[in-house]
Amino acid sequence: METLLQTLLNGAASGGVYALVALGYTLIFSVLGVINFAQGALFSLGGYLTYLLLGGKIGVNGALPGWGLPIGLPFWLALLLAALGSGAIGLLVERIAFAPLRRRGAEPLLSLITSLGAGVVLVNLLQLLMGAEGYAFPQGAAGLAHLPESLLLGGARIRTIQVLLLAISALAVASLSLWLDKSRSGKAMRAVAEDPTTATLLGINSEAVVRLAFLLSGMLAGLGGGLIGMSVSLAGPYFGISYGLKGLAVLVLGGLGSVPGAIVGGLVMGLAEALIPSQASGWRDALAFAILFAVLVLRPSGLLGRRQLEKV
Amino acid sequence: MSSSIQPPPSLQPLLQIEQLQVHYGSVQALAGVSLQVQRGELVTLLGSNGAGKSTTLRAISRLEPASSGRILWHGADLATVPAHRTLKLGIGHCPEGRRLLNRQSVAFNLELGAYLRRDRSGIAADLERCYALFPRLAERQQQQAGALSGGEQQMLAIARALMGRPELLMLDEPSLGLAPKLVTEVMAVLAELHRNGQTILLVEQNAQAALEIADRGYVLEAGRIQLQDNAADLLKNPELKAAYLGS
Repeated sequence: METLLQTLLNGAASGGVYALVALGYTLIFSVLGVINFAQGALFSLGGYLTYLLLGGKIGVNGALPGWGLPIGLPFWLALLLAALGSGAIGLLVERIAFAPLRRRGAEPLLSLITSLGAGVVLVNLLQLLMGAEGYAFPQGAAGLAHLPESLLLGGARIRTIQVLLLAISALAVASLSLWLDKSRSGKAMRAVAEDPTTATLLGINSEAVVRLAFLLSGMLAGLGGGLIGMSVSLAGPYFGISYGLKGLAVLVLGGLGSVPGAIVGGLVMGLAEALIPSQASGWRDALAFAILFAVLVLRPSGLLGRRQLEKV
Repeated sequence: MSSSIQPPPSLQPLLQIEQLQVHYGSVQALAGVSLQVQRGELVTLLGSNGAGKSTTLRAISRLEPASSGRILWHGADLATVPAHRTLKLGIGHCPEGRRLLNRQSVAFNLELGAYLRRDRSGIAADLERCYALFPRLAERQQQQAGALSGGEQQMLAIARALMGRPELLMLDEPSLGLAPKLVTEVMAVLAELHRNGQTILLVEQNAQAALEIADRGYVLEAGRIQLQDNAADLLKNPELKAAYLGS
């Protein structure tokens, strides 16, 4: 009982992070119809930024061994600022890897390569600065220190950090959905997603909406990276890439461009992985992609994907 | 109000196009089109498929760049205005094929029509006006736009353009694909808007229907204006009769 509850919670928590990454892809895919392959690198960046903002020091293989920011922010502030930092770099990726191609009317598929390139550069810069070693977040980081290591819930003992992870991802996903649904700029984004020309004629600056999508998408990735860093560790500059790929699988699993699909897909993926016994943990990624394969055979447009409307 | 001295309204057209040329790659779509629209007029731009009618509207909306010539709005050149600013300036464009947000509701489409406006009470009043003008839209507020019939979709497209309170309403073939009875209905609405002072530039293939409600008309052929006259005289024009009015 105890282990099952802990297992389900673990699954939901990592599912929440997958959903964050997949939502990041979804925003950009909706407005531009392309995938931003730098998403995994922004995830890594978010993890490292959170580490530094919490007061973590650079290791011996980094460019400035032993250096650290002279601050140790509360974890929630560090997460927020790290997300904003990743969002800002996401905007830069748009400027460098997407905007020039769009302006020249290039084949949208080309941006897969340019964004992958931007991601590789970013990860290598991280490696240059921080070294290739793994980092554990500073023990008892401010704001977390007074939280108990574990909680008792219905007779089961569960890790506090997992609860926190799930709560923060749920909050981020809920605010994003609410924003898309209710706010003026969220509505503008939905209009651009459906028909950029119409949106333009209605007075919506679709270029500004595209930039907003990249900012938000980078923030979601950065937040995911910070959360995983807190609950597990930073396994090296490439640690975000596997989350980026998992997010991509979730995106397709849930249905390309569907917001509820990304959320459901993330949870399905996270729970399925968590249910694999730890002796067989090497099979996790294989299972993830087996699920993806099975769903796509049965439902080619994903769990909650729309059937493509044929244009006449 | 602008403080600069401007000629009286009767002398300065609301919209003036001078020798407009548009190219798609090496293909010339417009070969020097000149036309003007005065405040309060209903002007129709006629012509067959591929004559350049839609291109003219798209150039005015800045969706297509002009390769030469000028588009003057209130006497000011639109050359440097980005497409998303034209509605702010007062140019509303109800595009070819309606271009509704098909996955969204009727109400959402109308709300987005007023995207640039902040006057909540004014928007609410205009929404009432649109629903009064097109009662069928009022009954279908929560339906997906894509699920409406062709006629209802056209009404929604016109209503959405009206929600932006454009000084000039440009419509691209609102009668396309509609049954004759619905064409009459749509034209009656446009005539009513015109009576209430709305300036309209109407692109049509259905010359008869358009000329019956228009003040003036232009006939576009292969990217050039071939004829221009009062609507009443165009209706009697033998050339036009032979080519477009089918008699």
